Amino acid sequence: MVHLEDVSKVFHTRRRELKVLDAVRLEVKPGEFVVVRGPSGSGKTTLLLVLGGMLRPTDGRVVVNGCDVYALSARERAGFRAENIGFVFQMFHLVSYLTVLENVLLAAATAGRRASRTEARALLQHLRLADREHHKPSELSVGERQRTAMARALLNRPPLILADEPTGNLDPDNAAEAINVLNVFHRDGGTVILVTHGTAADRYADRVLHLQGGHIEQSPGGPSRP
Amino acid sequence: MRTPVLIFKELMHSRLNSALSLLGVAVAVTLWVFFFTAGEASRRETTRLTRNMGLNLRIVHRQTDLDTFWVTGFSDQTMPEEYVRRLAAQTGLNYAHLLPTLRQRIRWRDRDAILVGILPEVSPVDRRESSMSLAVPRGTVCLGYQMALAPKLGKGDTIELLGKSFVVGSCLPESGSDQDVSIFGHLHDVQDLLGMPGRINEIRALNCVCFDSDRDALDVLREQLARVLPEAQVVQIRSIAEAREKQRRMVEDYLAIVLPFVLVTCAMWVGLLMMINVRQRRSEIGILRALGHGSGTIASLFLGKAAAVGVAGAVVGFGLGTGLALIYGPGVFKTTGNMIQPMYEWLGWSVVAAVAFSAVAAAIPTAFAVTQDPAVALRDD
Repeated sequence: MVHLEDVSKVFHTRRRELKVLDAVRLEVKPGEFVVVRGPSGSGKTTLLLVLGGMLRPTDGRVVVNGCDVYALSARERAGFRAENIGFVFQMFHLVSYLTVLENVLLAAATAGRRASRTEARALLQHLRLADREHHKPSELSVGERQRTAMARALLNRPPLILADEPTGNLDPDNAAEAINVLNVFHRDGGTVILVTHGTAADRYADRVLHLQGGHIEQSPGGPSRP
Repeated sequence: MRTPVLIFKELMHSRLNSALSLLGVAVAVTLWVFFFTAGEASRRETTRLTRNMGLNLRIVHRQTDLDTFWVTGFSDQTMPEEYVRRLAAQTGLNYAHLLPTLRQRIRWRDRDAILVGILPEVSPVDRRESSMSLAVPRGTVCLGYQMALAPKLGKGDTIELLGKSFVVGSCLPESGSDQDVSIFGHLHDVQDLLGMPGRINEIRALNCVCFDSDRDALDVLREQLARVLPEAQVVQIRSIAEAREKQRRMVEDYLAIVLPFVLVTCAMWVGLLMMINVRQRRSEIGILRALGHGSGTIASLFLGKAAAVGVAGAVVGFGLGTGLALIYGPGVFKTTGNMIQPMYEWLGWSVVAAVAFSAVAAAIPTAFAVTQDPAVALRDD
């Protein structure tokens, strides 16, 4: 599903060069749940954005679902992203002036397969947000906001979900619920790559990887799930 | 979600930003409409005032000795009456209200008098004008104020003039000019009396602003006359012409200075607000990118908002500008103030101009939004 081949990412600041990813190699099979753990500033988000076709790597090749992502034009890459990748962020990134239902439907316009309002409502029902569909993000609890962001990511039924610290702003109950949503997606055959500095998701992961110094290493604990 | 729906919802959500942007556009359109309505009113007022002052151009034969002309008040050279038709047949001239005249000094009732033969005014072919001058039917005369005194003469009286009888058609009020010692008759009657059939010695006219240029008005008039009537020359009563020109230019110069300043200020205001809006929506831009929306969608969100603000600003600005002109215009333009009307044809132009204006103001912020790296927004936020 995901193949990273010697991917490097260097940021140039005025004073110095910052190599965040250094010849990263990664292979994720379809249907895997992979957790990438690392301390703050280790490049987890950068890795996720590179994987998602949002940030061109300095070197290397990124293949997702059989497609060399950065060989595509910006327009093609946007279309590819819409159909193949769902994003979940720590900060939710909901559009403040849209309702819950409208935020979820934002994803519908871009995918080749147009998800309907009915599908969006079913998803909200499944995530216990049915009574919140006309509420604005500012009227929701943080847990509800994250579930809304997850509904948006799931609407187009992408084969891959990239989650960036999805539990970072949540209390333990809401964090468990968010992870559970990803786990259900994984159980249904979806691939999940979740970056985090915590351990809450480890028990659901097929593999836990460690990102440090720009390199990915198998976590000393190895796969935490049989 | 369709882009227009997103634009509408965002406009409703960021009310303060939207309202301030609309204010910027509305102020620009208000001043634009007010200045042009006022400018049109000023042009009308100036034209009317000048018209009320009288015809300011005198076309005489080229061989006229101007020293004598100014001393006697008329040309000693005559020219064919047909010249006025030739002049009127031309288009694009700055001459209006053409009045063929034949003036001679005579003795009447042991007094010096000026006998003036006139025809009804002739308008150039490309213009319809209401007459500024009196018309004297054949067989009648119109007496200047002084001529109608001692003995007292009035409408309907019969007088004898150079051996022929005429009915007094009207008597003019005191004017304080040589008009008071003039006797006006139909041109053809006067030509017969003076034994000059088909001859005139002057065409009076008004310098119009219909075909204006930045050049000196008299230069333009002379150039045009030389082309049509090389046998004639024109003199301009500068005091009248200059007063008129000065008034009109003053308004136009004022517009030329104030309008660009206001437009640039308002454009910067709208652009700044749009830039703030882009900054506030970095996360939204980032997530739209992540969801697969392209640059076109991002650009249309901001340019669409600018267009919507432009349309609303144009309507509000047109209403305010017209309202200001209607309220304050009559106080400023005493003679023609009641002729100020809403210039509805400007509404369409205001909308077009305001949308273009907003789009230009939003161009840099939109470019900023489109080129913004979504990864940075998503990572930083």
